[in-house]
Amino acid sequence: MNRPFMIRQSEEVTLASVLKSDFIFFLKGRPSREEVVKLLTDGLYPQVRALITAKALYDKVTEVEKLNNVLETGFYIPHAKLAEIDRFYTALAVIPEGSPDAKSGITVRAALLLLTPNKPVFFQKHLNMLSKLSRLFQPVFMDSIAAMKDRVRVHEAIGKHE
Amino acid sequence: MNPPAPFPRFKHVLVLSTAMLSFISFWKAASVVLCDMGSSAYYAGGIAMNAFGPAFPWYVLSVMIFSGLMLMVYVESCAMFVRGGVYKVVNEAMGHSMAKVSVSALMFDYMVTGPVSSVSAGLYVSSLLYNILPLAHISWHVPHKLFAVLFAVTVTAFFWRENIKGVEESTEKNFKIMGFVTLVGAVLIIWSLATVFSRGFKLPPFDLKFTPASLGWMADFPYLQTIGLVGVFMAFGHSILALSGLETLAQVYREIEDPKIKNLKKAAFSVFLFSLVFTGGLTFLASSIIPPDLIGGKYLDNLLSGLALELNGPYWARLALQCFVVVSGSLMLVGAVNTSMVGSNGVLNRVAEDGILHDWFRHLHKKYGTTYRMINMVAVIQIVVIILSGGDIYLLGEAYAFGVLWSLVFKTLSMIILRFRDDIPRDWMFPFNIKIGKVYFPVGMCVVFLILITASLVNLMTKRIATVSGVAFTIVFFAVFQISERMNRKKAQLYMPDDDSEEKLNMRKEADIATILPELDKARKILVPVRNPNNLVHLKSVLETADDETTDIIVLAAKISKGIQLEGESGDITPEDKDLFTSVVLLAEKYGKTVKPMLVFSNDPFYSIAQVAQAAGVAEVVMGVSGTTGAEVQLERLAMAWGMLEKKDSAHSVLAKVVWEGRELSYKL
Repeated sequence: MNRPFMIRQSEEVTLASVLKSDFIFFLKGRPSREEVVKLLTDGLYPQVRALITAKALYDKVTEVEKLNNVLETGFYIPHAKLAEIDRFYTALAVIPEGSPDAKSGITVRAALLLLTPNKPVFFQKHLNMLSKLSRLFQPVFMDSIAAMKDRVRVHEAIGKHE
Repeated sequence: MNPPAPFPRFKHVLVLSTAMLSFISFWKAASVVLCDMGSSAYYAGGIAMNAFGPAFPWYVLSVMIFSGLMLMVYVESCAMFVRGGVYKVVNEAMGHSMAKVSVSALMFDYMVTGPVSSVSAGLYVSSLLYNILPLAHISWHVPHKLFAVLFAVTVTAFFWRENIKGVEESTEKNFKIMGFVTLVGAVLIIWSLATVFSRGFKLPPFDLKFTPASLGWMADFPYLQTIGLVGVFMAFGHSILALSGLETLAQVYREIEDPKIKNLKKAAFSVFLFSLVFTGGLTFLASSIIPPDLIGGKYLDNLLSGLALELNGPYWARLALQCFVVVSGSLMLVGAVNTSMVGSNGVLNRVAEDGILHDWFRHLHKKYGTTYRMINMVAVIQIVVIILSGGDIYLLGEAYAFGVLWSLVFKTLSMIILRFRDDIPRDWMFPFNIKIGKVYFPVGMCVVFLILITASLVNLMTKRIATVSGVAFTIVFFAVFQISERMNRKKAQLYMPDDDSEEKLNMRKEADIATILPELDKARKILVPVRNPNNLVHLKSVLETADDETTDIIVLAAKISKGIQLEGESGDITPEDKDLFTSVVLLAEKYGKTVKPMLVFSNDPFYSIAQVAQAAGVAEVVMGVSGTTGAEVQLERLAMAWGMLEKKDSAHSVLAKVVWEGRELSYKL
């Protein structure tokens, strides 16, 4: 058997450091899961405009999205790995009225689009980030940020609770 | 907005609690074998003496030395197949038909094991009663053989009932019995040596004095008797019944703990050493101490009682020793009756699963769930054999040798054939081989086979009743197998592949994972999620490297159960689940490591994995690769589930691995 490919946990990357308040969106109504992903992709795109086309970004995200599941907590993390980038890029959608997911029957309360560099050294950080996001976005927290209606306050709350 | 309902948690956990998941030390494995094999010490000497006179200790001793060689054959077969009994090995080497013949011979062995052991025990008890009861002024005149038949029938009926009820054989009980027997044996040997020292020692003669009965059809060929080697093989054949019980080693191997082969060799050596000293040594001492006329007369049927009574010392002490000899002997001999029933039931179940025995035989008892028709058949045949024998231990012993010899012949021949046919790697090989190309020509095993086949062919000539009854029994059983197979084929039943039998799975329902946690008491825990019985590479990698002493291995099958009210009823175990758990158990047996298999029902398998991992405090989660999603997606899902369940400020981290052929990915969560 080949030597196991293993990465030890490296320095922590905080969500507050990679998510700018400008890329926190409050979605009105009850958009579908696909609409949420489209809105997040469009919303995040300005960050990576110089690195990838909008269509390529959307295609990549929707390709991975097929295998992705909404968490039981009502939090959804569409994500993709891109060779074109060299750090995390994120955008957060808060859905106060909830978005019904037809596949799982779970109501999505918040969704965070995460782009990770497609490099082996980043995979451990990617897993750490996924784990951290799942831990942070519990129902009570999502209720509290939905009630804030202010992206700066949401960003502060994330930094505080992380 | 109202807080959402707490996400569903699985409420029911099914835990596999089959006995096969516990493993035993080599001491206990040896004691299981010796409870069968060691019991022949009580009757082998007398039967051999009856057959060819005072040279019997030499031949019993030679059979015990030969047992070492046969044990090595069994070690090699177990190294190839975890469940490597006669049927499996012969099937692999010589095909289906020969496997049926070998099983028929093995069944004859089992059918006579019970009667010879129980009748022998009855004869020992009868002789003790004849000595003790007059001391209490009780007049006792029941003929020995009648008493032995009644005793044997009672014992057989008792174990008949116990096997119908499904009472499991206890390795712990066997271990204690062997402990007691060893103690009594040690006292007997030491006292005998002291007696020999004071009286002087004379080696038994070598010349053979066959009786007309022991010559059998050989009496019609007087010229053959002049060939010394023929006489030697005749005598060897009359002593070979001391070699019974080896098949038990193959049955018990699956239960031996890791490192399996090393412990198997230790068990085999322990069996050999004990048999040499106990059976071989005591037979020799008996021949030296008991006057020849008494060996051939009063003590023919209870040689070791005779040894106890003829030692130097006060009568009361010798009588007390006889009591201990009879009690220890009875425990062993009576235990061998149960072993024969359990063993024959196991073999019949095995061949029934392969479609060789009609399903009618597999009908389960309504109350106890045992294959009662098979047990009934075995018990009835044994009782009929006891009655027909009339308590004649010599007759039973001669018949016994037929089954013992021919099953060993088939086994050894099959092992030789497999050397040429099979590329299965062997962790151990019978010594004395010559490498020719890729093949290890088995010189040593061929010599063993030649000895066995010669003794078997000579036995056919010298034991008329055994030959006739053994051949007839084998033909009848073979015919039953043939007819059953044809009937099964006509019913268009699925012909089961010749893989190991379906494990008898006992699933215990628990209310919550928390109730199982106290059972996981080792320092380190590893969680191994499983789903596909054909994809257990990751479990194998854990079993290869984990230390059974310090590590709990939790094998978790998480079933998706969308739409089910998870707070209420959970699903049932399906045939696919049974296949999965059977594969898990077989793999655990192969490595001799304990696993804790569990089945949970939930919406999200990764959620289940994370929840069990966190609740149990596992150090590692080792997954097999998913063909649909790939390793990275699996790790991502696990990371998300882990984070979702993890308590804030929790310091518990886990190493998440995905293992597949030639590759492994590991990350910390």
